[in-house]
Amino acid sequence: MKCSICGREAGGGLCQYHVASKARVEEAYLLWVKAYGRMEWKEYLDNIKRNVQTGQWAKEIAEFLKGG
Amino acid sequence: MVCSAQGHVYGISDPTEERSVYPVFDVEWYSSDLVDEDSTNAARRIAAVRRLAAGASRFVNACDFDVEGETIGYNLLRYACGGKETDALRARFSTLTQEDLVKAFDELRPQAQQGLARAGRARHAIDFVWGVNLSRALSQSALGSGHRYRTVSVGRVQGPTLGFLVQRELEIREFVPLPYWKVAGIFEKDGRKINAEYSKAKVETRELAEKVREDCVGGGAVAMAVRRSIAQVGPPVPFNIGDLQKEAYRAFGLNPSRTLQIAERLYLGALISYPRTGSQRLPPSINYRAILQGVGKAAEYAPLVAELQKAEPKPVQGPKDDPAHPAIHPTGERPKRPLDSSEAAMLDLVTRRFLAAFGPSARREMVDVALVVGEHEFRLGGGRTVSPGWMKYYGKYAGYRDTELPAISEGDRFRVVDVLVDQKFESRPPRYNQSTLLEKMEKEGIGTKATRADIIGTLAGRGYVTGESMEVTDLGLSVVETMTKYAPSIISTELTRDIEEKLEAVEGGAEGEAELLRETVRSITNQLAELSANEEAVGKEIDSALMATVSKSFVLGRCPICKTGELRVVRSKTTKKRFVGCSNYPTGCRASAPLPQRGTVKATPKPCQHCSWPVVYIIGGGRPWRLCVNPSCPGKKKP
Repeated sequence: MKCSICGREAGGGLCQYHVASKARVEEAYLLWVKAYGRMEWKEYLDNIKRNVQTGQWAKEIAEFLKGG
Repeated sequence: MVCSAQGHVYGISDPTEERSVYPVFDVEWYSSDLVDEDSTNAARRIAAVRRLAAGASRFVNACDFDVEGETIGYNLLRYACGGKETDALRARFSTLTQEDLVKAFDELRPQAQQGLARAGRARHAIDFVWGVNLSRALSQSALGSGHRYRTVSVGRVQGPTLGFLVQRELEIREFVPLPYWKVAGIFEKDGRKINAEYSKAKVETRELAEKVREDCVGGGAVAMAVRRSIAQVGPPVPFNIGDLQKEAYRAFGLNPSRTLQIAERLYLGALISYPRTGSQRLPPSINYRAILQGVGKAAEYAPLVAELQKAEPKPVQGPKDDPAHPAIHPTGERPKRPLDSSEAAMLDLVTRRFLAAFGPSARREMVDVALVVGEHEFRLGGGRTVSPGWMKYYGKYAGYRDTELPAISEGDRFRVVDVLVDQKFESRPPRYNQSTLLEKMEKEGIGTKATRADIIGTLAGRGYVTGESMEVTDLGLSVVETMTKYAPSIISTELTRDIEEKLEAVEGGAEGEAELLRETVRSITNQLAELSANEEAVGKEIDSALMATVSKSFVLGRCPICKTGELRVVRSKTTKKRFVGCSNYPTGCRASAPLPQRGTVKATPKPCQHCSWPVVYIIGGGRPWRLCVNPSCPGKKKP
């Protein structure tokens, strides 16, 4: 099975790198909510997608989750 | 009669000529031209040494006194001079000045335990056995997946080094920045305004940042805990090769291997001492006064040297020692030929570092003030050099800046004019550069001072990393991923460090190189069994990464015509010539441009400022040259 994002070999729908990035993106959401008081999931995904500091795989995950 | 060796004229190899065969453990020393096609002079050099050795009654080994030099001398004496490796005498010196050379030949000594040569020969054998078997196993696995042969190498030190880069690359690519707020206050007293940072550098929530502003604006602040102190800053320790490489990167942006090349040229010109040293110590035997006197003959250093000579010179010493050579220092000789700018800069750096080592500590006045507003605290500080000490000798390399010191006394009262709340995001971890990677290798105890810079260069040569920022490619990721899964010891720092430590013991005179070789063979046999059992999976993973890396290397940048496609290097099926074409050609984009047919085309990250087409480097032949691929670029001068 191939990763839905990058085409690497994957056990499930995503390769090991994108699985790890997805966990990071989800963990960080809780910290963003705490930092801003409140923030919608989609708004958060838009924000990290636009942020120049966000890593390439984390951006790809944000795009993937937004589409899903 | 004097005869030069000119580097390694013998190299390790295996008797089989077939590159796909592994495992290979039966290795021997051969003339280097049989091992490495670039070593074309080795056979002639060996023949010349043989001719000169016939009839010679006494032999003196005067190669560099370190692991590689000892190995070179040992092999020549053993194979080209008819087994004279133990009878030959040794000339030891750390500079190529006439005085040191004469002294070295006056004080010839017998070859002792030859620990350096034994360790050097063992290191070459271990590295060959390691590299050839694993590289062949990986390359053959990839070949089994149906694509063309390409060497996929994993060296003993290269594996863990690539592991460091991959670990950092994963952190960067998975990074999600967290927001934080930076809070700063503007305070006023008697019409004079000062700025101070909130005591907590990163405020984690917007609510708290806003609360600080609400609590403070319009209020009053009191200066508390005004701390003034004098800090003594000791001189930097003398250079070993790692320190010089790091400092040259910081000061001049030179990569470690270039620094080593320049330093070796200065050594061959008898201008500095032997650069491949681990020592940070300057023993009195180098004769401080004589060197200072020589350095002082140059007008730019004369006043500095005159000051240092007023007292008995005594340098600061670093913690690291090297029994073979002292720390890198100038010889005090004047250049016998004009130096190019990089050589002159490097000599200046080495000379000033040497002078600085004799300088007194610098003294800096530091001020730290806390401005308290209710429960909140703001801080401001500054520092200035009150007595430059060694900094005067180190000059522009010293790197300390003065900041204005606030003239505030305890109890002074201020009005809080405003509080600025600035939202920020955490930065992702920085990629290694050649200097920080070298530092990491040193810290982890892998590689040697002589090999680290070359290993870093090999990583780029193999396509595992790309660019100055050493971004790991898909191939680099895949090699580490595969090794982690099937042969984790190969990229383990522990195993490599363990071998280094055992080799260092041999260098110091201990026995045990034969057992170390046997251990290595056992370890590799186990790893190869794992790789072989999973050959198909390994091959598939490496091969798909190879394809991805190769395909990425053809992409030059975004197409400025259709805005959605990528401009790539394409080869015409009919003429076989290469040109630039758009990936959207099948859907109608006709953007194309000619390319020079010779040289390697390397994309640059920034498009052309005039036309937004990709800019490339053409590498090969002479100096690399930049080219905007758009033939109608308005930035190109008309003939």
